[in-house]
Amino acid sequence: MTAIPEVLVLVLAGGKSDALRALGRIRTASALPYGGKYRVIDFTLSNCVHSGLTRIGILTQYAPLSLHGHIGIGRAWDLDRRDGGVRLLQPYVRQRETNWYRGTADALLQNRNVIEDAAARHILVLSGDLVYKMDYAELIRSHEEHGAALSLVTVPPPSEEPERYGFVHADRSGRVSALEEKPKRSGAGAVSAAIYVFRARDLMERLRRPDGGPDLVKDVIQPMIEDGARVFAHPHRGYWRDIGTVDSYYESNMDLVRPVPPLNLYDPDWLIYTPSEDRSPAVLGPNAAVSQCLISHGSRVEGSVTRSILFPGVHVGAGAVVEDSIVMHDTRVMPGARLRRAIVDKRVVIGSGATIGDGDPTPGHGSAGAPTSGLCVIGKGSVVPAGATIGTNTLIEIGVSERDFPGQAIAAGSVIRPGVSARMAPVVRAAPGGTT
Amino acid sequence: MSFVSYAMILAGGLGSRLCILSEKRAKPAVPFGGKYRIIDFALSNCVNSGIFDVGILTQYRPLSLRDHIGIGRAWDLDRRRGGAELLQPFQGWAETDWYRGTADAIHQNWIRVEDREAEHLLVLSGDHVYRMDYRPMIEAHLARGADATVAIAEVPREEARGFGVVDLDREGSIRGFLEKPEVPPSGNISMGVYVFRTSALHAVLREDAERDTAHDFGRNILPAMVGSGRVLGFRHEGYWQDIGTLDSYYRANMDLLRPEPPFPLEDARWPIFTPSTEFPPARIGARAEVRASIVTHGTIVNGTVERSILFPGAVVEEGATVRDSIVMGESWVGPQAELRQTILDKRVHVGPRVRVGFGEDLTPNRSCPEHLSSGITIVGKETRIPEGTTIGRNCRISANLIEEDFSGDTIPSGGVMERELNVAH
Repeated sequence: MTAIPEVLVLVLAGGKSDALRALGRIRTASALPYGGKYRVIDFTLSNCVHSGLTRIGILTQYAPLSLHGHIGIGRAWDLDRRDGGVRLLQPYVRQRETNWYRGTADALLQNRNVIEDAAARHILVLSGDLVYKMDYAELIRSHEEHGAALSLVTVPPPSEEPERYGFVHADRSGRVSALEEKPKRSGAGAVSAAIYVFRARDLMERLRRPDGGPDLVKDVIQPMIEDGARVFAHPHRGYWRDIGTVDSYYESNMDLVRPVPPLNLYDPDWLIYTPSEDRSPAVLGPNAAVSQCLISHGSRVEGSVTRSILFPGVHVGAGAVVEDSIVMHDTRVMPGARLRRAIVDKRVVIGSGATIGDGDPTPGHGSAGAPTSGLCVIGKGSVVPAGATIGTNTLIEIGVSERDFPGQAIAAGSVIRPGVSARMAPVVRAAPGGTT
Repeated sequence: MSFVSYAMILAGGLGSRLCILSEKRAKPAVPFGGKYRIIDFALSNCVNSGIFDVGILTQYRPLSLRDHIGIGRAWDLDRRRGGAELLQPFQGWAETDWYRGTADAIHQNWIRVEDREAEHLLVLSGDHVYRMDYRPMIEAHLARGADATVAIAEVPREEARGFGVVDLDREGSIRGFLEKPEVPPSGNISMGVYVFRTSALHAVLREDAERDTAHDFGRNILPAMVGSGRVLGFRHEGYWQDIGTLDSYYRANMDLLRPEPPFPLEDARWPIFTPSTEFPPARIGARAEVRASIVTHGTIVNGTVERSILFPGAVVEEGATVRDSIVMGESWVGPQAELRQTILDKRVHVGPRVRVGFGEDLTPNRSCPEHLSSGITIVGKETRIPEGTTIGRNCRISANLIEEDFSGDTIPSGGVMERELNVAH
């Protein structure tokens, strides 16, 4: 007999996150590149396999190609299995009532066949856009011990944007009496970590109610609590971050280059798996000055890089300076360019001598859609002209070409969009076989 | 068009001149260039040339190689038809035994060639660093109706002494071979890359098997074919490096660190494939200085690293200095330690304040002066060097030593450190 009863894992990975701006438009948040070589969903999937859970469905809907390409048949996680393994569950056309997933609960309901066929006792419902390490076996054990209909994981309320989270009220035994979305007051207590384990029959019974709504929290979990179902809180004490906004995504990445990172990626017993790329080792040139960085294979540094994360294939030219930035795959920072507090998506070219993040790196409000916390965001495949000076809080959209810049000096708080020529061409220029 | 679709890679060699790097593994399995094994180059050349059916002949210490190749996944060689197959000597048939030489290895596995009904066969060596598209060579072989075609690299004439030198006529046919000549007539050497007409090769192999020879391709098979058939030379332009000695191994690695490396590892058109490790990206700390170096996933640097190669999981602690060195996977260089011109095999533990490659005394190594005299010190797999030890140049420190095996705190240049085997129980 195993310690863990049979569990089906369903990962919600279909959402669109407008708060991720140009980073989130071409891919769902779960597929965001993270930490130099990962995608955010790698944490959830690695947690599953380390917890001994290998029967996994991933529910996708918004811009899923990047995610599908990444997961493939699940080889990187040893999830290419005869029994179980990973399945991608995209909405499909049926004879009756065809619909996109209208919400998280609806996505589960539309996959009721998957849930029933698995004949699992418990359904672990996870979100693909969270960064954390967690042994779900403990969660499921406590769920069983409580004889719970639902156990939900809680974390301390994050100091930033507490209004994004749902506050959990529980008694000493952990029994949950309320889950309060968008509370007016913040402070003590615990918030829901969007990690749930349901007793399968209780979940199905709720989903099948004819008056049920499409949202998992509002239309399933809150009614269960209100109706007095046995719902228990399971506190998670380690690192946990929701990276659904530009700021939270940036801060969580920067956590990794702190002197003592709060999230240890080097623990040999809990490695985070991801499909590898066939890149050559990183080369640091004779004049390179690199400190407090994560550097991935295929990178080449001739300039100076500080407190930054370089994804595979990033080149930083001689005399270029990169500080407090995240630079994704195959981006070129040409000689003499400067990057400060910038998130640069894949295959961007920063022209020679260009400056990104010029001026006071403090929060500010510029054009609608521009970042406000002092960051610059540059969308995939864009080209910043040589010598240009880009102020802080600037958003350069996906696929912007040199011609789209109104001048060499871009004021703080600007938004640069692709021009007509770019809109007629495919916006995302993907390399053959590449994923977003 | 006749088509060459099967390659056999000779990967069984002892490689004794690589000293303790090949003490526990076959030469093709020796780590190279930060994340590779030497055989990755031949295997990647095969798949990049469209050859997806590869037999790998192993004999000496094949375990490391077998773990590395597995089912061939890294090269897309886990296939329904063809793929990667390791051919280790076996018992049970009348003529099978340990391989007596490279030619005998292929002769004993001739059934593999016959099964494929291939008219031509590609034979490669697993211990060279190079990029080569085998297709133009195969085309030349077919177009000129050769019995054998031999890839030729040009090296400085004085360096040709260590190789098989080829005597070419004006049409590019080979008139003869000189194996390791004292005075090489030219710098044209055989790269150990051959295309054979299978019928012609089989005839020579059968005959050679009955005779008392070294059963070696370079020394016996090709000279015999020159006498009986048509043997062509095919010039290979571009980098080619035999990893035969510790010096050539060290030099080929250090070549990768030059500003314009003669053999860039990065080439999207001709990638070198290797199984990947699951490590996170390289982490460079706040006080680290890393220059003119190669780092890989899982390396953690808090000290100073110059002109060096760090393999996956290598750690350089704060205050440590690593210069002109090769640090293999998961080795640990403790605080304030200093490495110079040192090769650390995998999982070596260098205690705090240890100095390796110390001093200017270049006394050649006591036990193998011919292979260890240029100043390189080498430390074998998993050895633990105790805190404060000083080790000179040209030293050879064996694998699997523990702190207690080090009696004094200094090993002078040319020294050898091995475990006392006659320990009383």
